[in-house]
Amino acid sequence: MSEHKCNCENPLVPGIVEVIDIKDETPDVKSFFVRSIGGGLPFDVMPGQLGMVSLLPVGEGMYSVSWQEEQEYLHFAIKRVGLMTNELHRIEVGQQLGVRGPYGNGFPVEECKGKDMLFIAGGIGLAPLRSFIKYCFKHRQDYGNIQIIYGSRSYADLCFKDELFEKWPQEKDTEVYITIDNPEEGWNGHVGFVPAYLEEINPAAEGKIAVVCGPPVMIKFVLQSLEKMGYTDEQVISTLEMRMKCGIGKCGRCNVGSQYICLDGPVFTLAQLKRLPPEW
Amino acid sequence: MQILNKSKIENALNQLSQKSELFVPMARGDESGFYPWNSYQVGSDRLMLDALNVLLPPKSVVFPQTERMYSFTGNGTTVEIKETFESSQPRIIFGLRACDAAAIACFDDVFLTMGFVDSFYQARRDNTTIVAHACYQPGTNCFCEAMGVDPSNPVNADVIIRDAGDAYIWESKTDKGEKLSATLGSLLENKEMAAPQLQPFKQQANYEGVAEKLKDMFEAPIWEELASTCQTCGICTYVCPSCYCFDIQVKSWGDEGYRFRCYDSCMYSEYTQMAGGHNPRSHEQERFRNRFLHKLHFFSERYGKPLCTGCGRCIVACPVGINIVQIINDIKEADTSVRA
Repeated sequence: MSEHKCNCENPLVPGIVEVIDIKDETPDVKSFFVRSIGGGLPFDVMPGQLGMVSLLPVGEGMYSVSWQEEQEYLHFAIKRVGLMTNELHRIEVGQQLGVRGPYGNGFPVEECKGKDMLFIAGGIGLAPLRSFIKYCFKHRQDYGNIQIIYGSRSYADLCFKDELFEKWPQEKDTEVYITIDNPEEGWNGHVGFVPAYLEEINPAAEGKIAVVCGPPVMIKFVLQSLEKMGYTDEQVISTLEMRMKCGIGKCGRCNVGSQYICLDGPVFTLAQLKRLPPEW
Repeated sequence: MQILNKSKIENALNQLSQKSELFVPMARGDESGFYPWNSYQVGSDRLMLDALNVLLPPKSVVFPQTERMYSFTGNGTTVEIKETFESSQPRIIFGLRACDAAAIACFDDVFLTMGFVDSFYQARRDNTTIVAHACYQPGTNCFCEAMGVDPSNPVNADVIIRDAGDAYIWESKTDKGEKLSATLGSLLENKEMAAPQLQPFKQQANYEGVAEKLKDMFEAPIWEELASTCQTCGICTYVCPSCYCFDIQVKSWGDEGYRFRCYDSCMYSEYTQMAGGHNPRSHEQERFRNRFLHKLHFFSERYGKPLCTGCGRCIVACPVGINIVQIINDIKEADTSVRA
């Protein structure tokens, strides 16, 4: 067993963690719960920050940390889309992985205090937002009303179902709106795309911060809808995704303009995004 | 002042390579670059101290084309980091020009500042002594001055040598430089000699105001025209002394392996290809634009100087004749009132 933890001296060398639980979220999303070997965490994260996870003989990938549970575990919800994630989806509890981080700026949890929160997510886009949502619940008195609008292709593709349908709707001053793209047998909820559902719900902009994450096409239309509904660019926050290798603003590829998403992002207000070249 | 007589140069190089790995500009067959002095082969290699720029820059001394980062073992479910490879080998780069020295200063900005220090780079950099060779006769493709580089006073140098005919004027600039000079003992002589006068540049890049102007040119129609012949082969990034983009990959066999980094190129589609299929720069023109914006605008926004030091290597290497001096001048003259 390895004693090697976070190598704080060298930011590109991972610490070793063990997978203590794995949960199927959807047919192609799994949750991985990891902690340092023997307990504790390799590092602390704030909502929206990233961790570079490595299956050492295979590769490394950057994922948003969906939640840090005290000093117990880090939770990554990872969709199976490529070589690395395919291999990750085959591991079992007890597997040791490399993790380095935390990377990125995270959500502006302090600046949002006292505001009503509107979270809008599509598909696996709920994974990064979930860290902020759970943070709000944990510090419930610091935030106003919470509205969560979430959609995916089908019922099966909805992540974190127990929280969506059971836990979150029971939180104080919280509304959860769920939609799926197409009608299906047994589904009595809303059907349609997220931007249209958002306009239907029409949450008032006043005193509110909207946090958006999802596929690029969803983000594009949600931003248009929010603008139509009177949200200013400072009231809208999104988290971007680019290919990353180093995570520390050196390797070059995740730039949008002069900003590195791994270091200066991944979280930006729409006002900040509009000052960047339209390459996101 | 101290001087090194040219007749003693091989003696001096032999002396310097005793305790350090010494990289000098050499022609080797059809190639030229900075190769270890102790690999010099009489007959096939030629010392190129007089050449302005050898084909390949010395960047690999501080930032190797392929660099092992750490090794690991994995036995089924357990894994262990075995060894981290931070190089402690002392190295000397001898005879690099002001453009290449300035490019290493760009590397220092990238790898050693802005939040994280890259330990692999720092280890190499700390153990590297730079003997820079001042330029007085700009070559056909040289335009360093336009990019803010003073060719006859290289930055980042521990020692500067100046060609004064029969001898090099030898000037130690740092403690590292003093130490290195001390190892040469009586090979360095005391004599007053005059450095030459800087001759005019043949290439005129009008970079003044270009970084600022590019702020509003992301969607300018000029990119389509400038990029039209680019094959995105990436040779410009390979020969560039200041291009530093890298990939991280793994090599594994059985229960063990190592992770390494290697040069990457922003000219390749895979560079930004995400696993889910999305690629923000899938088109050649988008990659071309990003490279030149990075060089001439983004880098300067972040670090206060361009990521081009005017060495001219990309002009020589480009198979379709794309010329960064022409690009700078075209941008300078572009009418930005027209939008794509």
